Amino acid sequence: MAMAIRQPGWYRGAIGMVLGAAFGFGLVIALRAISGLELFQTEQTGYPHVIVPLITAPFGFLFGFGAFDYWFRWAAGKPTIPDDHSAHGAYRWQDYFKFNTDHKVIGIQYVVTTLCFFLIGGVLALLIRAELAQPGEQIVAANTYNGLFSTHAIVMIFLFIIPIFAGLANYVLPLMIGAPDMAFPRLNALSFWLLPIAGIVFLGSFLAPGGAFDAGWTGYAPLSTGAPLGQSFFNVGVQFAGASSIATALNFLVTIITMRAPGMNPWRMPLLVWANLSTSLLVVGATPFVAGAQFMVLFDRILGMNFFQFLEGGDVISYQHIFWFYSHPAVYIMMLPGFGIISEVISTHSRKPVFGYRLMALALIGIVVLSYSVWAHHMFVAGMFSWLRVPMMITTMLIAVPTGIKIFSWLGTLFYGKIHLYSTSMLFSLAFIITFVVGGISGVMLGMIPIDIHVSDTYFIVAHIHFVLFGGSVFTIFAGIYHWFPKMTGRMYDERLGRIHFWGTVVGTWMAFVPMHWIGMDGMPRRVADYASVYGDWNLFISVSAFLLGAVQLIFIYNMIVSWRFGPKAGNNPWRAHSIEWQVSSPPPVFNFDEIPRVVGGPYEYGTPGARHAIMGGETAPEELPEPEPATVTSPS
Amino acid sequence: MESASIAAGHGHAEEHHGPPEAHQSARIDRTILGILLFILSEVMLFGAFFAAYFFIRAVANDGPWPPVGIELPVMIAGINTAILVSSSFTVHYALEAIKHNNHRGLKLGLTMTWLLGATFLFIQINEYVHIGFTPRDGAFGSIFFSLTGLHGAHVFVGLLLLTFANIRAYRGHFGPDQKDHLGVEVPGIYWHFVDIMWIIVFLAVYII
Amino acid sequence: MTRLPILKLALASLAAGTVISVLMLQIDWFGDAAATAAGPIDLLMDVTIVVSSYIFALVCVALGYALIKWRVQPGDEGDGLPIHGNTKLEVIWTVIPIIIVVALAGYSWAVLDDIENEDADRITVNVYSQQFAWTFGYPESGNKWSEGELHVPLDRQVDFQLHAQDVIHSFWVPEWRIKKDNVPGITTDAIVTPDEAGTYQLICTELCGAGHSTMRATVVVEPEAEYQKWVNGLSQNVPESLLLTADQALEIEKQIQEKEDGIEGTGVDET
Ligand code: HEA
Ligand code: HEA
Ligand code: CUA
Ligand SMILES: [Cu+2]
Repeated sequence: MAMAIRQPGWYRGAIGMVLGAAFGFGLVIALRAISGLELFQTEQTGYPHVIVPLITAPFGFLFGFGAFDYWFRWAAGKPTIPDDHSAHGAYRWQDYFKFNTDHKVIGIQYVVTTLCFFLIGGVLALLIRAELAQPGEQIVAANTYNGLFSTHAIVMIFLFIIPIFAGLANYVLPLMIGAPDMAFPRLNALSFWLLPIAGIVFLGSFLAPGGAFDAGWTGYAPLSTGAPLGQSFFNVGVQFAGASSIATALNFLVTIITMRAPGMNPWRMPLLVWANLSTSLLVVGATPFVAGAQFMVLFDRILGMNFFQFLEGGDVISYQHIFWFYSHPAVYIMMLPGFGIISEVISTHSRKPVFGYRLMALALIGIVVLSYSVWAHHMFVAGMFSWLRVPMMITTMLIAVPTGIKIFSWLGTLFYGKIHLYSTSMLFSLAFIITFVVGGISGVMLGMIPIDIHVSDTYFIVAHIHFVLFGGSVFTIFAGIYHWFPKMTGRMYDERLGRIHFWGTVVGTWMAFVPMHWIGMDGMPRRVADYASVYGDWNLFISVSAFLLGAVQLIFIYNMIVSWRFGPKAGNNPWRAHSIEWQVSSPPPVFNFDEIPRVVGGPYEYGTPGARHAIMGGETAPEELPEPEPATVTSPS
Repeated sequence: MESASIAAGHGHAEEHHGPPEAHQSARIDRTILGILLFILSEVMLFGAFFAAYFFIRAVANDGPWPPVGIELPVMIAGINTAILVSSSFTVHYALEAIKHNNHRGLKLGLTMTWLLGATFLFIQINEYVHIGFTPRDGAFGSIFFSLTGLHGAHVFVGLLLLTFANIRAYRGHFGPDQKDHLGVEVPGIYWHFVDIMWIIVFLAVYII
Repeated sequence: MTRLPILKLALASLAAGTVISVLMLQIDWFGDAAATAAGPIDLLMDVTIVVSSYIFALVCVALGYALIKWRVQPGDEGDGLPIHGNTKLEVIWTVIPIIIVVALAGYSWAVLDDIENEDADRITVNVYSQQFAWTFGYPESGNKWSEGELHVPLDRQVDFQLHAQDVIHSFWVPEWRIKKDNVPGITTDAIVTPDEAGTYQLICTELCGAGHSTMRATVVVEPEAEYQKWVNGLSQNVPESLLLTADQALEIEKQIQEKEDGIEGTGVDET
């Protein structure tokens, strides 16, 4: 036992957490005592003796858990053990519950954790739908309802979509570029462990007096600055989730820039790598803004500052500018990695190079650049500077262009291919194209100011959100999970269950979210627990569809768990793909490669006889192959 | 030139105890690139607060700035600025010293930098105590304390990093090769950033 | 390599697009209209729906065609044609969307100018909002005040001055197609010309707390004469506190604060 306490791990972590909490609590009490204030401040926006421990306890836990051991030794000038790989690889299931620095283990930790959050967010969604099934109060009161959709959105966005992409990329990206691991493995592990912490903080707000945070996922001031204690949990949770994503993004950027295998010049990188490069640029540049906005709200709440107190010279609308300067790029943070996955899947399963590869990569960069210049399209009716509206409308609508390039290029990839539909991942990719176009086009409509004036803050927005986030991001996530499941687990999932899951999800998504367009246009506002009875029938229909959609997800979970344990062995390369991660064993060896592979061509050279993407270590390496002549289509008409 | 790094005939019989060395596909060192990107995101964090500053000063209020009745100790802050700026030179000196394998110079430079930084922080805290208004006093108080406070927090972190560098310097670590003095270079880069950021904060809050 | 039946595909897309847009236009998207802004906005929406239908149809036809034509035969392990791209095509599908969105943006801008155009004989109505109630002031009629019920004259442009006392609310009458946030600390405005008499609902569309779903008010559009009669019949005037500017409110706040500080010695201080 004494031994267990001294070693990094759960015991020491628990002790660290208690000590951290005690330290934070003591600090607050001591400072208040020194300044002659009452020891406990329990005004609804106050509670410093809860908020400060909420920040210090996780750090205590991380210290105890072993997140900083190496850095402490290093900082103190003690000898560090550079080739100690004891925190690498997973040999038993317990290894997944350690501070593990192996990118493959971290990838799986991420995916499993975030899928749990998906279920939690989904259950919250089903509670929302239960309340909305009929007009009038069904299961919860109005203020509880506000807490439900706020936590639903936050769990889905910060704990599911954004991190699961980080998880998938964590697993495959280093393999794809021929790197033995991420650039900063310990930082990588730290990023992961910040995530469950953020989750506990967000969900912990349900226990706070006054209930969970309920100012929407957007947390507009001054509603949020005056809200009960739960809102501070939101402010703090965003810091943990944000720090986690910034650290991961930084890690991806450095890995992609400095650790590519020899021969892998930028134009030989798989598009997933490009997609994560773009996403990471967005995260590093934009996420600090949401951190800043939530710091300001927190300061207003517990330090009595006046950033958004209009009576004290604060500016109410500035919150929205700062928030959306992050949160618009955030929607592409939630979409671009998905674009990368789709490129991989479609190219592999139609046995063809990605059409217009370079333009595809440039379109990603174009989206990154444009997405920093459109934030105010969320504020067309917010009473902001009216001169800013038209410029933002134009930039907003222009984003349709690079996105369209991607859609059309995927279609172009299908043409003249050999399209295999046996894999669920391909099905989801094709369904993604159709569904996302609908969501994207409703986005363009929202970008047109006169239309937005009418439909802003109605169910039309809710329809847009779910078409792009569920029909967009979530479909790509499913595609990615099905695609790399054999690589991650070494086993094959059940395609039949996959198909049931696929059809149920597609039909459920369309049934649940299409009618929202109409009821929104017709006059049903969003974020209401009760509504005019004319919308009763449609809402019932939506609720039933949503439950269907939820039920189908159980099949997915079942398929994943059972196949992981009992599925047939998958082999190294079931999809006959060219990129490097498929050239190693499934699951890959602990250190990925014995020797770094050598890249000799593009990643998607299907159909060119003898074309190779990479030559693996240990293979009798022929000399660098000549770049295959890019075949061109004779002009189409 | 890229394929040159493949060791020819690397036998398989050899036991591997660790991962293969990653191929270095860019000339920049990973840690340096890492800190530069980190600084980029730090700049954006300051950016968020500068955005708030802009709105509070230019959009929400049109009165005098700082508001009547508030007198900022520009003189003291100016001296403090000089202190911090000079510490950028000492940390640069430390780096140059170790590049020429001059350990004495390294220790001197790092110690000086640490002391200058600590002095800055001390004066800053002293200023807070005597300034005569609090973060609760209007939006001006909020933006003043959060911009300077955010910066102060960065000075604190920089000092922490410098402390580590100092410890290691006095233990005789570091050497003239780049990989042997990253522990000086990286905190140094961060420190320059803290410095430049202060000049911007100082100009925005005290001068214009 | 087979040649693409470009013409057939194009015709199929056009046909599908036409079918989809006809179907889509059958749906009564907006419900009733009761202000002059509704016409141009609904038309803009309809045009956008038609354009979108064709884009959607194009994507569906292309995808469907590819699936039918190039779905692999069982047992075929071969690869597709190694086509890497086609510059001409790529230019086409970059430029055409640019033209479409720029055209739609220009059209939207024109509509925006149209619906925000101010008439010389407009009247002003003050809209006050707080958790969770709407009240209205009629400055042109001696600052008369009505609670929970808004009356406006028919066929006369109204310039609503929107105010908020606590948090952000939002002013929306679906039949008018106009929405604007009420932001505490500043005054925003919304311009509406009601052109259909009747009773409507004013809905708060910005989340403002527990009572957000119930923050509604009745809107009555009636001929000018009846409107005047109704306003003149109001007994209350807008309370002083609602007429204050932010600066004045701040001043009062300060005075209250000072008073409270004065009695601080009694130990009621809570912070
Ligand atoms: C994954 C997430 C995601 C993605 C990818 C998008 C993509 C887009 N979004 Fe969306 N959006 C959200 C998530 C997302 N959005 C969320 C969560 C909100 C609500 C926030 C809240 O208030 O809670 C929101 C809200 C939102 C608003 C604010 C509405 C309001 O509150 O009043 C607007 C307004 O302009 C908008 C626009 C767009 C546009 C123009 C795109 C474009 O990027 C879409 C581009 C894609 C296409 C257009 C389709 C493919 C293109 C072609 C086939 C080419 C041909 C097309 C044309 C020529 C038109 N979105
Ligand atoms: C990433 C994003 C994401 C995802 C995946 C979803 C998924 C869903 N969302 Fe959500 N939603 C948002 C992001 C998302 N949402 C955002 C950003 C908002 C705006 C919030 C705001 O206004 O602030 C929102 C708001 C929102 C509203 C509007 C609330 C309002 O304005 O009043 C509604 C209403 O119907 C809704 C419904 C749904 C439904 C039915 C699903 C379904 O797809 C869910 C499917 C169901 C499951 C996945 C559950 C599966 C699990 C089980 C069946 C139980 C098994 C349990 C165990 C094993 C323990 N969402
Ligand atoms: Cu007022 Cu919602
Ligand atoms: Cu946006």
